[in-house]
Amino acid sequence: MSLPPLSILLLLPLLGAPLCWLAGERQARTVALCCAVSVLLVALAVLAGFDVGNGDFQWRERHVWIPGINVAWDLGVDGLSVLFLPATASLFLAAMVIGQRAPQPLPALYYALLLLLEFATLGVFCALDVLLFFSFWELTLIPLYFLIGLWGLPAAGRAAATRYLLLMLSGGVCLLMAFLLVAANAGMQFDLPTLLAGRLPYERQLIIFLLLLFGFAVKAPLVPLHSWLPSLALGGPAAITALLVGLKLGAYGLLRFAIPLAPDAAQSLHWLLAGLGTVSVLYGAVAALAQTNLRAVIAYGSVAHVGLVVLGMASFSVAAVQGSVVLLLSFSLTSGGAFLLLNSLQRRVDSCDLSALSGVSQRMPQLSRFFLLFGLAAMGLPGTIGFPAEFLIIVSALQVHSGAALAALFAMVVCAAAFLVPYRAAFQGPVLHTAVAEADDLVTREFWVALLLVLLVVGLGVYPQPLLDLIRPAAELWVARLGQSG
Amino acid sequence: MIGIAEALVHSASLIWLVPALPLAAALLIGGRMLQGVSGDDAEPVTAALARGAALGSGLLLLVFLLAALLAGAPGHLLLGNWFAVPGFSVPVSFLLDQTALLVAAVVAFIAWVTISFSTAYLHREPRFHRFHFGMSLFLGGMLLIVLAGNAVLGFVGWELCGLASWLLIAYADERPRATGNALFAFLCNRVGDAGFLLAIGLGFWWLGSVEWPVLLGGTLAETVKLRMLLLGLLVAALAKSAQLPFTPWITRALEGPTPSSAVFYGAVMVHAGVYLLIRINPLLQQVPDMAVAVAVAGLATALYGWLCGRVSSDVKTSLVLATVVQVGLMVFACGMGWTEMATGHLLLHAVWRAYQFLLAPSYLVLAPKPLPLSRWLAGNGQLYTAALQRFWIEPLIAALLQRPTLLLGQDVRKLDERVLERLVGAPDLQQAAAATEGGGSAGVGGRLLGWLATHFQRLESRLVFQNERGGLVGVLQRLGEMIRMLEHLLEQPRYLMLMVMATFVVIL
Repeated sequence: MSLPPLSILLLLPLLGAPLCWLAGERQARTVALCCAVSVLLVALAVLAGFDVGNGDFQWRERHVWIPGINVAWDLGVDGLSVLFLPATASLFLAAMVIGQRAPQPLPALYYALLLLLEFATLGVFCALDVLLFFSFWELTLIPLYFLIGLWGLPAAGRAAATRYLLLMLSGGVCLLMAFLLVAANAGMQFDLPTLLAGRLPYERQLIIFLLLLFGFAVKAPLVPLHSWLPSLALGGPAAITALLVGLKLGAYGLLRFAIPLAPDAAQSLHWLLAGLGTVSVLYGAVAALAQTNLRAVIAYGSVAHVGLVVLGMASFSVAAVQGSVVLLLSFSLTSGGAFLLLNSLQRRVDSCDLSALSGVSQRMPQLSRFFLLFGLAAMGLPGTIGFPAEFLIIVSALQVHSGAALAALFAMVVCAAAFLVPYRAAFQGPVLHTAVAEADDLVTREFWVALLLVLLVVGLGVYPQPLLDLIRPAAELWVARLGQSG
Repeated sequence: MIGIAEALVHSASLIWLVPALPLAAALLIGGRMLQGVSGDDAEPVTAALARGAALGSGLLLLVFLLAALLAGAPGHLLLGNWFAVPGFSVPVSFLLDQTALLVAAVVAFIAWVTISFSTAYLHREPRFHRFHFGMSLFLGGMLLIVLAGNAVLGFVGWELCGLASWLLIAYADERPRATGNALFAFLCNRVGDAGFLLAIGLGFWWLGSVEWPVLLGGTLAETVKLRMLLLGLLVAALAKSAQLPFTPWITRALEGPTPSSAVFYGAVMVHAGVYLLIRINPLLQQVPDMAVAVAVAGLATALYGWLCGRVSSDVKTSLVLATVVQVGLMVFACGMGWTEMATGHLLLHAVWRAYQFLLAPSYLVLAPKPLPLSRWLAGNGQLYTAALQRFWIEPLIAALLQRPTLLLGQDVRKLDERVLERLVGAPDLQQAAAATEGGGSAGVGGRLLGWLATHFQRLESRLVFQNERGGLVGVLQRLGEMIRMLEHLLEQPRYLMLMVMATFVVIL
């Protein structure tokens, strides 16, 4: 019997977490790193064994978990989700390598919680049973709450953690209600392929779609439900924020559940999706202009990008779905990378506030160059992974929502300003502060992590075809399902 | 002889090497910068990379040019797909006609000469490597613009040139003036980029492809569509070539080292817009009124550049305004449909201006006495002031575009802080302290919850704690007394024994 790879992928961090806790302060980091490396290897193995031509779920495994209500440990990945596994694994690994060696207080607990978070996040991408998905979804909150509250800035971190938890729980309630409604219509079946095969009456779809949209929009976040993200970016620990900003679970949820489970409603409410997306793009870009802290700039920039992803999804075309998934991945690399570098900057200068920074590139040329490259990639510069993604989304959206795409083009200009204006204030100019003057450039481990991320950003930007091919069959199936029930 | 010509024609598929060489050089120099190379020893390698790539591209282009002369230009060349998705694909294709090959060769040689010049000019400058990185990136981008067989590849070059320009204007990045100007120039160019992208999107939508032959030969039944498509391309061309109303960026772009100014704003990049106009001329001539508008914009820019140039007081600004005049005339020619004249003008002007710009630092010696202001301009006070102020275009842009966007940003931030946060009602920093003291709730959601909680609590307290012996408390107290009595009885051995026996009876 062959080993179920997805279960191994999930169990590794789950078992690693208590091991970390038991290993004690000294060894916790080593254990966590070993665990994260092996998770990455398994994720890459899953990707390597993935059948590119097949659009359906692969590596499927199903064990009944709660027989009474038909809930199963049901895992599987398709082209839309498989790429998120290595992305998640590498981002967690990067956060561990680049972060502080022993975050005080309680370093062992920090690493244990980080692994628990990795378990839950990977679970979100693998789960094919909606209740299992929901369990993973809510399970991410527990480690996050403590990670943000305990290792963030003293007061702001706790406030941000509370705010995050409350908002996510309110979104979660909607998700659960929607999932139960869907399942009730299918005779209390919870596995996604069965649910996708069925077709609900339009009125029921409408309720389900709106509930799911709300639940996922909170997490994504879309304007006007985004207010937790900036406060988290400012108050939370930067390594954790990198994970939260980099891995857009909310947008993935929209793509995987909200639109396919209620296809007719989604298509008749395409204006709502496109509108929310456009508003988020513009709002995020313009709001990023007015920020005085680099972390808040990246946070608002991420709101703009999620908006672009949602705008892409609202076109309901294969090219746009491919573009959206690639943009989400590009996002893990660029925003995640940028936040990890800000973490390094924060540790050296003790602030990411523009008023405390100036001339950083003179003292830290490597950090500045990497940060610039991540920023340019987020702007969609050709030669980076951001370009094919944004290009596909804008070209597809133009045909369906011309006005919205025009607005997105305008936002493209504003986004460039929103990144380069704070870049100029913080990284260019004369060195004015002693904290900057005394700071050192990236150390070896930080350099290599950043370099690997940059190589991925550039490499996949120059040659994006394998990525697109991998996503294509699943995207075609996704669009075909919409058409069938439409 | 014919055999050689055939071999040369077949070698045309190697054209991708031409833009790839400088880009590879840029990549290598970028890698060296990340390694942190410095000092005299590192300079020759960097310079050789940049110079070698430029020379290599130039020589390759000469070969292709020779082949074109002997056996005719290869025309549109499809080499493969960059990326393809259902619905449309972005091929790697080149459009090699006489114009493209000629312009590309001139571009490569100007870049080669300039890079060779800079190796000595910038010796021991701390940003020696960045300069060569920027130049190589630029050359790659520019060659891509000139040789591209479709609009997407052209756009890629377009963006790379913009980035290189930003990098080199902000060359002295400790000076806020330089970085500010770099930002201004980049954002002006970005507006053009957005226009280009719009045209590409529309091209894919309406024509299914943005290969230049398809795009230019495409006949769109509705002129509205044609106008939209053209509008995007024209915005891109006018922005890149610093035509009105985008002209101000070019006078602010001279902060970089002189050789880079020579190549970007004197000789090469500023002509990219003209080149695009030459390319899209068949399309432009289908809509006469837009062609006239382009011609008018070119003439107006020429006039503007000439007037402003008369009153400018430093060498580089005078030179760049003179460039603007010439480019304006080329744009005028494009608007009138005289593309061959524009091409010739472009080539000659590029070579001449590059030489002039490289000479610019020596002009104070070469021309010790500047010409006096012409009498009629000195006599016309209003025009003189207007020319000095460059017709207030820059403040106008600031007032109409820059400031509103920034203010909008501030408003959005306020909206976030004052309205959305309150609506959501999650604790923020100040309220967090109050909340831990049992303070309370904030925001609509919070208040609602607080109100509910208060009422529930009142209900509960009525039920439970209302009076001393009544309510639930009384009942519970009585129950408690009875249980205590039972316990007391059970504690006595005889009842305990009785219980045990009763249990046995029940079990058996």
